Amino acid sequence: MRRPLLALIPLLGFAALAPAQDVTRPTGKNEIVIRNATLLTVTHGRIENGSVYIKDGKIVAFGARVDVPASATVIEAAGKFVTPGIIDAHSHSALDDDVNEATSPVTPHMRMQDAFDYTDKAVYRSLAGGVTTSLSLHGSANMIGGQAIVFKHKYGLGRDQMLFAGAPRSIKFASGENPKRVYGALKQMPSTRMGNFAVQRQALAEARDYMHEWDQYEAKVAKGDADAKRPKRDLKLEALAEVLRGHFLVQIHCYRADEFLTEIAIAREFGYKIRAFHHALEAYKVPEEIAQEGIAIATFADWWGYKHEAWDAIPWNAVMAMRKGVRVAIKSDSNDFARRLNQEAGKIMRYGGATEDEALRMITLNPAWIIGVEDRVGSIDVGKDADLVIWDGYPLSSYGRPDKVFIDGDLYFDRSLPGYGMPQYKEGN
Amino acid sequence: MGRVLLLHGLIVLCAAVAHAQSPSAPIALRGGKLLTVSHGVIDNGVLVIDNGKIAAVGRSGEVAIPKAARVIDVKGMTVYPGLIDSHTNLGLTEITQVAMTNDLVEPSDEITPHMHVYDAFHAESELIPVTRMNGITNAIVAPAETNTLPGQSSLVQLDGRSRDQMLLVRDLALMMNFTGAQRRNETWDSRKFPQTRMGLAAQLRQAFLDAQDYAHRWEEYEKRKAAKEKDPSLKDKERPKRDLKLEALLPYLEGKKPVVLAAEEASDVEVALSLAREFNLRVVLNHITHSQTLLDKIAEAKLPVIVGPIYRTPKDNERYDVVYRLPAELARRGIKFAFASYDAHDVRNLPYAAGYAVAWGVPYDEALKALTLNPAEIWGVAAQLGSLDVGKTANVVVADGDPLDVRTDVKRVFIAGREVPLTSRQTALRDAYMK
Repeated sequence: MRRPLLALIPLLGFAALAPAQDVTRPTGKNEIVIRNATLLTVTHGRIENGSVYIKDGKIVAFGARVDVPASATVIEAAGKFVTPGIIDAHSHSALDDDVNEATSPVTPHMRMQDAFDYTDKAVYRSLAGGVTTSLSLHGSANMIGGQAIVFKHKYGLGRDQMLFAGAPRSIKFASGENPKRVYGALKQMPSTRMGNFAVQRQALAEARDYMHEWDQYEAKVAKGDADAKRPKRDLKLEALAEVLRGHFLVQIHCYRADEFLTEIAIAREFGYKIRAFHHALEAYKVPEEIAQEGIAIATFADWWGYKHEAWDAIPWNAVMAMRKGVRVAIKSDSNDFARRLNQEAGKIMRYGGATEDEALRMITLNPAWIIGVEDRVGSIDVGKDADLVIWDGYPLSSYGRPDKVFIDGDLYFDRSLPGYGMPQYKEGN
Repeated sequence: MGRVLLLHGLIVLCAAVAHAQSPSAPIALRGGKLLTVSHGVIDNGVLVIDNGKIAAVGRSGEVAIPKAARVIDVKGMTVYPGLIDSHTNLGLTEITQVAMTNDLVEPSDEITPHMHVYDAFHAESELIPVTRMNGITNAIVAPAETNTLPGQSSLVQLDGRSRDQMLLVRDLALMMNFTGAQRRNETWDSRKFPQTRMGLAAQLRQAFLDAQDYAHRWEEYEKRKAAKEKDPSLKDKERPKRDLKLEALLPYLEGKKPVVLAAEEASDVEVALSLAREFNLRVVLNHITHSQTLLDKIAEAKLPVIVGPIYRTPKDNERYDVVYRLPAELARRGIKFAFASYDAHDVRNLPYAAGYAVAWGVPYDEALKALTLNPAEIWGVAAQLGSLDVGKTANVVVADGDPLDVRTDVKRVFIAGREVPLTSRQTALRDAYMK
């Protein structure tokens, strides 16, 4: 049943050695068995000498005993580790530096899709670090930023193939020093935390009015009132009204314990749910309050001291919050960290003694939940997307490197290839 | 009493030896795996610390443990020399974005070699205890790299009663930067000289020429003064005005100390190197992150290299792993190199960068050496630091595993023989909120 690995290359459409015109694009139709690896499944623990069978872009079977269909290509992975693809719950890559519309503190009508640069090399570099899905967000200049994109790191493909079809929409809010600094420098509101939250409340209040206006209008129309006055459409308020209607996952950049509490209070006041606090370096101070609301955090392993609101950051934050029931993700917020989130998760085992499962979950299933795609990715489970990484060493250490990265069953990165370790697709994908 | 006095005298003479808090009783670490760096690994070893120094190293049973010694069982643990960060801003900054806590660089001029790190080094920085907790015991502190000649670095020990006890070498090296970041063309509207690499090079060259000229003038003056003592009829030569900036360059022009030359791209490295040769400077290379094409030349010239940060992103036309692989490329060519964090808050992660370099091809022993003995040699303190050898300063770390791995917890840190408490503002916060 075993075939030489080389046989894979034409099958999977690899191109590094071949001239570009000979290249076929990923098919999503591969049938592959990765076998004899140590599987770190996230949801079913560690499986030694395990195999994963993928077909048509999905995980079909996995475990210590997997029947290998004759039609499948076999990848021998003895001595290697297989994990689900890493998921980055907070990135700004592929936005071509169009990260902040820093001209007004409320810009919910900004759509990251309009800046999406799928050719950004950062996408390839984090793919080479095992990242398969990212949430790329507006920057933190604004109290209410804009609408994020979720994409898979199918580097070399086009916009439509990369955007994560069916992923829920996320919107970015931000509080604390950044909006203070940005608008303080312009001598505008907000330049204090009081100002921050006043701006946020005012915007939400206007959105509530807008929503009511439209609700009333539509009710009138439904009753057949031909004279009903149609309110003017306002993209900004429309987006915020959708927040109030619960159509967005609300991702809030904030650092300090008092800010978490204020954001929770405002969300209650206006009746929306917060999905996650991002950065959240002081989550360890109020973990119960965060856990009670069902809010997750996307934080750093040990980054600290770069600004005043990061002064109380401690590397035990993730574990302390987790032990109190908070769902914790470790995220990058940088094109650099995104290339080695596995190591960052490894640090969580050291600082506070997270188990392998807990640490790995922080860069897979938990960020998947924050993005709202946990049913599709984030663990090795039957029926999930075949987003997998084969590592040459233990991934939660200083030493593990991705050998191969699969997304939807296609190989998008292979370290053993000459050149850049990635397929070179022909023009016009 | 006499012994205490004698000891005190030694401390004043050589701060590297120990400071006043050194324990009087010897300490024996017994049963651990010793990574000596200089002579291999000793399983089930014993290391004796006495008077702030390493008094004995060897196999259990073969090393005499002094009767008075406090014996610490370190079975299952790894024992290794304190790690050295070859380029940090530690002690020059507290909170990056809070301007008043920064003493990183003097931005009004590009040529400020008369800036001395030792004048600003903040011994009580909250960052230092955080750093020690990962086994880093020594650091080369340098100003920020945005000036061409931002000042002179210091070698510090990360424990001591006062700043002066922590400063092992006050003016260690002259920092010379040619990465392009020194150009003053951030915005067209605020442009000033030097705006280009040509400008940077011209400015540097002029500075060194001015210093040579200055030295010459003083020489002439002193010569005439001496001659005049013999022959009073001779005319006086005007006494040159003292200029600290030019004076600061003299030891480097005389080759007494190294110049740390930072450049990233091969073309910049070559320009900066040719400048250095023009003035006979003793060079330690810094960064060289995009200089893969130059490595054979560097090896041939036997130039030591401070390398990193290896997490620097490659250029768009480079493979994703060129910077990760750079230390391995240096090792392969036998170039002596040392790792650096180039950071202040992040210094604690220095060993993990070395671990990453191992994943990318550096032999393990070489990686550990690049955090210990190599920097000690490059910085001229190998007699005191860098390995577990008798007579060296007892900067010793005990950890529960591989020092280069992110999962490893450091359990004990000795600096100049004193066990440093593994506490920091961060552990205090942890403990307060754990309750």
